[in-house]
Amino acid sequence: MAEPIVSIRDLQFRYRGQKGHALDGINLDISRGEFLVIMGPSEAGKSTLAATINGLIPHFQNGKLNGTVTVMGRNTRDNTVAQMAEIVGMVFQDFEAQLFSTNVELEVAFGPENFAVDREEIGRRINENLDYVGLDAYRHRPPSTLSGGQKQKLAIASVLALKPTVLVMDEPTTDLDPISKIGVFEITHRLCKRDDLTLIIIEHETEEALFADRIGLIKDGKLVKIGPAREILADINLMEELGVMPLGIPKFFKQMGATNLPLTPEEGWEAFQKTGWKISETAYQALVAKEHDQLAKLDQPLIQCHDLEYSYNKEVKALDGISMEIFKGDMVAIVGQNGSGKTTLAKHFNGLLMPTSGDVLVNGLPTPDQGVFKLGQTVGYVFQNPDHQIFSETVFDEVAFNPRLRKLSVDEVKKRVEDALAAVGLTGFEQQDPFALTKSGRQRVAVASILAAQPEVLILDEPTTGLDYAEQRSMMNMVRNLNENGSTIIFVTHHMWVVAEYAHRVFVMKEGKIILEGSTRSVFSHDEELQAASLRPPHFVEFSNRLGHTFLYPEEMKKCIEGVQD
Amino acid sequence: MDAELYLDKNSFIHRLDPRTKIMVFLLSFVAILLFQNPLFMLPVAFLIILQLVISGSLKNLLRIRYILVVMTISSLILWNLFAGGVTHLWWFLSVQSLEYSIARTLLIVLMISAGMILISTTRNEELVLGMIRLGMPYRVGFAISTSIRLVPTITSSTLTISQAQRSRGLDLDSGNLIVRLRKFLPLLVPVFISAIRTTNIFAMALESKGFGAREKRSYYLKLEMKKADYWVLAFTIIFMLASIILSILGYGQIPGLIHF
Repeated sequence: MAEPIVSIRDLQFRYRGQKGHALDGINLDISRGEFLVIMGPSEAGKSTLAATINGLIPHFQNGKLNGTVTVMGRNTRDNTVAQMAEIVGMVFQDFEAQLFSTNVELEVAFGPENFAVDREEIGRRINENLDYVGLDAYRHRPPSTLSGGQKQKLAIASVLALKPTVLVMDEPTTDLDPISKIGVFEITHRLCKRDDLTLIIIEHETEEALFADRIGLIKDGKLVKIGPAREILADINLMEELGVMPLGIPKFFKQMGATNLPLTPEEGWEAFQKTGWKISETAYQALVAKEHDQLAKLDQPLIQCHDLEYSYNKEVKALDGISMEIFKGDMVAIVGQNGSGKTTLAKHFNGLLMPTSGDVLVNGLPTPDQGVFKLGQTVGYVFQNPDHQIFSETVFDEVAFNPRLRKLSVDEVKKRVEDALAAVGLTGFEQQDPFALTKSGRQRVAVASILAAQPEVLILDEPTTGLDYAEQRSMMNMVRNLNENGSTIIFVTHHMWVVAEYAHRVFVMKEGKIILEGSTRSVFSHDEELQAASLRPPHFVEFSNRLGHTFLYPEEMKKCIEGVQD
Repeated sequence: MDAELYLDKNSFIHRLDPRTKIMVFLLSFVAILLFQNPLFMLPVAFLIILQLVISGSLKNLLRIRYILVVMTISSLILWNLFAGGVTHLWWFLSVQSLEYSIARTLLIVLMISAGMILISTTRNEELVLGMIRLGMPYRVGFAISTSIRLVPTITSSTLTISQAQRSRGLDLDSGNLIVRLRKFLPLLVPVFISAIRTTNIFAMALESKGFGAREKRSYYLKLEMKKADYWVLAFTIIFMLASIILSILGYGQIPGLIHF
């Protein structure tokens, strides 16, 4: 084997002021041209590991580093981050914060300028890299006017302009909508074919990890397992155990007792043909009928929209003729690309936005007659980023904010806080500092603080973004629990598997209109319409569609299979 | 919300070198400061209005019209408190103090307008590069352009945060001053925290792109003084010199003005 490009030996790192090691004894060699995906639960040390490769650790983050990281023979300890920048490029998750310029061209020029590359060469690199990521037409635009996906592409171009040998990307697509994700993945697919570039990506999307040469699983700062992508992805048990989302198709085959596990929909379909299993039509119809009955029970409309239109400015209608009903006890998902109007629609339900024309009725009354403050008692809205609302010193005060505003008695406030914290599983955390909690903990505090107002409807804007698989599951299980206890739930999300497993009904939005609606199963059976809205159903659903039936998750399908030989 | 002030146009002023524009800005400031009498400011005022019209920056000035009106009125009144004169008019006003306050107000409005022209016609990077070429250290220039760059980011997160808190029942519009100020706490804490977080990543990204890797850096933007720049500069300098001579000869003062 050739000399490794990146060589990590006995790496240990402890952040200043913390007891435990963020990284604990990592040994890893990465060879030239390799594409390595690193996966693991939150707080596992993935980002910390990424930051050691270009020297942000130990130079930028304070802490204690043992062991060595060598990139192309350069020890990160002896080179500043800026010096390492020539050979290691770094793309971050937050696409807002990594752009410095007011012009796309100059953004790409920034890196080469720092290395005193001459003007003509910078010009060539700008052309080459903007062309590579497909932003050529935007070269004179200010980055602030680009979409999230375009910003992330620009960030990639600006790093590539330094001609790095190693490119590290720390969750480059976590904050993006599906269509932008596809755009960024398309670039990484091209990048990984270049054999002069070593690609290291930290990723949550298991379906994308299929393209990697190797996958490394990290937990508690340790490299639990590393190996060829297919081998790791077939190890369903280990992935579940680590809190990393397993692929649905191998999961299904494993549950069925198969030993040779197919990974993609294509492979799954072929493997299924060979087994002699059959999908029981009666069992499937029973499943559909049961679902239908459950939805038919919901008949008390809580939120109604009639020909709702909304415009932020004169040119574009953000919402264009929306008519819909949401019933008491519903669990509804609203999906679509950024800019399709999902959030604009949701903000009408609690009166943050008022219709330009048409009506929104909550409990039969138009929202303009009620106002945000009053509607807040009926409709609670949890924003995407919990850090946009948390401000108190203790969890108790944070959750008590709304009941106190509504001038409830001390006892009543206490009771409401207790109930809300119990509902989100944070009983006993009353006196903790909310800022010291993990992201999922803060997310729960945010939900609790809305629940304390005891709303009938709970709107959650991307409740699972930025959480790992295990956290996403426990978050959504909690939401389902609230729904079963009588709350009406509306959630906006980009995570299609969350929709498949948790929503009862789905609204698909595109360009301010609802293009598809119905029970989750019926919506997911419309493969083509979803593709047209650039929404990809999870691999597993795609696989079951190819078999002529729509199943939303493996357990459900297993029950409908007959002809299994023991 | 659009926090960007630069207007993407191609006027005569837009095409000037940023160094020329910075010099014109500074020199017109000096030229106005030479005189107490508002009449002597009129030539500069005329030139600035001309620039406003040519560059189309009037649009940006209109965006801050409320602030301008409030400032003009309060300045017209307040400056009277800092000066007196021999020809008493009414209460604390005298002819001289009135002239003086008109001049001060004109100074403020003209400088805001001149600054607006500079920002509206010059890209952030060009402006900073211009300053660097005129002798400012690169890091200082970068700090300035970064602070301009962060304005839209912080504005938009502030907007989201205020919506989030309003949905939780925060009502910013009622109560007396102290009650209202206390209500801003739920806004300020998240705004600061998100700003700190953003700047932290910003700094990491900056390091990762080799900020300060070499003693000297190159610039992709090229500044070029053209014929028009030299003409404009020559005119500005002649205008300046004439103003200085007039001022030394004693013109442009307000006789009988008493400073407090």
